[in-house]
Formats: sequence, C-alpha cells, structure tokens
Amino acid sequence: MNQLISVQAAAELIRQGTPLSLAGPESALDQLPAGNWIGGTIPYFMVPSGGVVVQDGQVFATDLSPAGEVSFASYGPETLGDISRNGPDNGFAVTIIPAGSSSHQKFAAGAANFEDAFLKPTVGWIAGVHLSQLGTVTPKVYDGRTATKYEDRAVVAYVKLPADKLASIEIVNLFEPGTGDLLQFEQTAFEVGQCLVNGQPTNLATYVREHGLENGQLPLVGDFAGAHVNASLQSVGEAGGKVVLYAPVFPGVDYRFAKPVGDYAAAFRARLADQSTDGLALSCNCILNFVFGELEGKAIGGMAGPITFGEIAYQLLNQTMVSVRVH
Amino acid sequence: MAIPALNHPCWQKLAAGGLSKIRTQHLGTQLLAKRIERSTDPLPARAAELHAFFTKWERILPTEVAQLTTL
Repeated sequence: MNQLISVQAAAELIRQGTPLSLAGPESALDQLPAGNWIGGTIPYFMVPSGGVVVQDGQVFATDLSPAGEVSFASYGPETLGDISRNGPDNGFAVTIIPAGSSSHQKFAAGAANFEDAFLKPTVGWIAGVHLSQLGTVTPKVYDGRTATKYEDRAVVAYVKLPADKLASIEIVNLFEPGTGDLLQFEQTAFEVGQCLVNGQPTNLATYVREHGLENGQLPLVGDFAGAHVNASLQSVGEAGGKVVLYAPVFPGVDYRFAKPVGDYAAAFRARLADQSTDGLALSCNCILNFVFGELEGKAIGGMAGPITFGEIAYQLLNQTMVSVRVH
Repeated sequence: MAIPALNHPCWQKLAAGGLSKIRTQHLGTQLLAKRIERSTDPLPARAAELHAFFTKWERILPTEVAQLTTL
C-alpha cells in the first residue's frame, strides 16, 4: 500500500499492527491511535492522477512491511548521528524531520558525515504545513508508538531487508547546472552573505538580484562528484544582505545556478518513462516543484508520495524527487 | 571482479583522490566520493570506509567495482 486513505482506514491498519509511514494534515494525524507508525505533517501529495491538496480526513499511507522487518525510533537534535549508526546492517532508515527545526538544520549540515551514512542509507522527507499557514503553524512529526507529536525530533522507521535484497536510493532532479558563473562558499550555511563568484568575493544577495534570480525558481546546483544536489532559495535580502536557503551550501563544492525548466510535469514524465516501478518502497517530491511546476492535477509518471519541504537521500536535498527501491 | 583486500594499494589511492575519477550514476557512490574528497579523516580511515562501502554494495555496483584498481 502506498496511497491516500481515510483517517479511519489508517486507524484500522494501525490497530491491525501494520507498520506504516504516514503523511497528512496535523488534524488527521492527531486522530490516529498509538501503534507501529511514524508520520509527518503535510497536505500536499502526488498520486498517479496528479498532484493533490488534501483536507482533514485523509492521510497518505505507506505500508513498509512488504519491504522487510520494520522497527521504530526517534532522535533529538543532539543524537541524529545515531539514525544511521543504529540502522540494520542491511536495510534503510525512513526518516521524517520537521521543517525549520534545529533537527532539520543539524541533519542538513551533518548527515553525510554521520557514521555508516553510506552503509545504512537514510531516505525520507521534511515535514511542512499548508503554504497558507507558513509562519503561523509549525510542522510536526509523530512517533506513532505513543502517538506523540514533536516540533524538533527525527522519527525513524528502520526497514531490515532479507539477506538476498539490497536497497538503493534514487533521485530525479530536473535541474542541471547552467553555464554561468561558478559560485563557491567558505562555510556550511543556510544563510549566506558573502560567497566567491569566479573566485571574487561577492555578496550573494546582490548577485542574485543583479541576475533576476530572486523569485527562487532556480536553485543553486552543487556538483557532488557528478551528482546534482540543489540548494533552493527561500528568501533573498536586499542588496548587501543575506540569502536564506532551504538546504545548506558546503565548502569544497562547485555551484552554479540551474538552467530553467519549462514544463515540469512533462519533464518528470520523460525522466520516469523508462524507470521501472518494481521494488519501489516509497517516494517523495518537493513542494517547490509542486508550486513552480504547477503540478496540482498534473500526472507526472505514476510515482506516489508526499510533496515535502525537503527530501532526504543520504543527506538533505531540495527540488528533487526521491525514491527507495529494493532489489 | 572481486573486491580487492583492504591491504590492496588501490584503497589508499582511491581515498587520496582517485575516487573522484570514477564513472558512476549511483547517487550513494557520488555523494560518498564528495564526502571523502572533503574529509579530514586520516587516509587509512578513509580507505577503510571505501572498502566497507564497496564490499556492502558490490552486487549492485559491478561497473564501479571493475574500476577500483584502475583509478
């Protein structure tokens, strides 16, 4: 199961002991009984027929039991390094973290350096809120074992795979680096004042405004040994001020602003057309793709899952579709 | 191709920068390559991390494993 269902149906699955990863509005998740589940707040989803915004009575449920043996944990911001360390030797950790929390910040800055991060992969997403509630309602995650919600913890479902199976994390990033200036950063940071543009010290906010990029539609694309990792713009201060990002930039990584993407839905369909859905355990996609790509009601190739405030594939990503597949 | 033993010189070469030349589309390998490049861990620790990684994922990374002693 990997679909939108009613709160009542989710509650029944929980009472039956089904291990679930859940996503939905806070009012819906609040109604669920204690059991074998984790959850995070978000009202936006991709389903095979297109992007949707749900009301109070629905949640997106992913039954993790077909993939393997499931156990649960939660971690505070100071112990996030235990997410991978405590994972099964063969499996993956489905992780949900609330947007804007210190857990979000610490995971983003450090996940790639957590012990066993690349031996016991972490996949998941950043919980959010309806965009009309930004700044007034905080995102939450839920430890279903006690049906308790948190504003600053990571909740984890560990999936232990059979010995003859392996998990791989896959991404679809529509954005490619443009051919423009090379941007580099001297510190790991969500908020950036100065950076280097083609080696010259430059105020990033000034640069972004001079190049007409302040609408945030185009992310910075980092070159991670050939992988394109986005850092999306959340807000751009006045010239001379700071740029706030949805994911940190890192020193030692070359960044360029992305090339524009025209029709997001068509681009996703094209990228997903030759991908099998065999073994897919869960997927998520980014709220910025949903908004800038106007994906509400548009089918993008059969993937289903929450539309999130950040995606996790070993480390925090932005404006990227993430899936985990069991081979 | 079998995974070279941990004492094979390829691991230290990979950890010292060779891994950045690997041809791969595997996200985990790419992100690990960048992590190793930016790491201040001692070279033997980085080499051991790479050995553990390719030993774990050998079955789904045959083309990457085939490159290990050539980089």
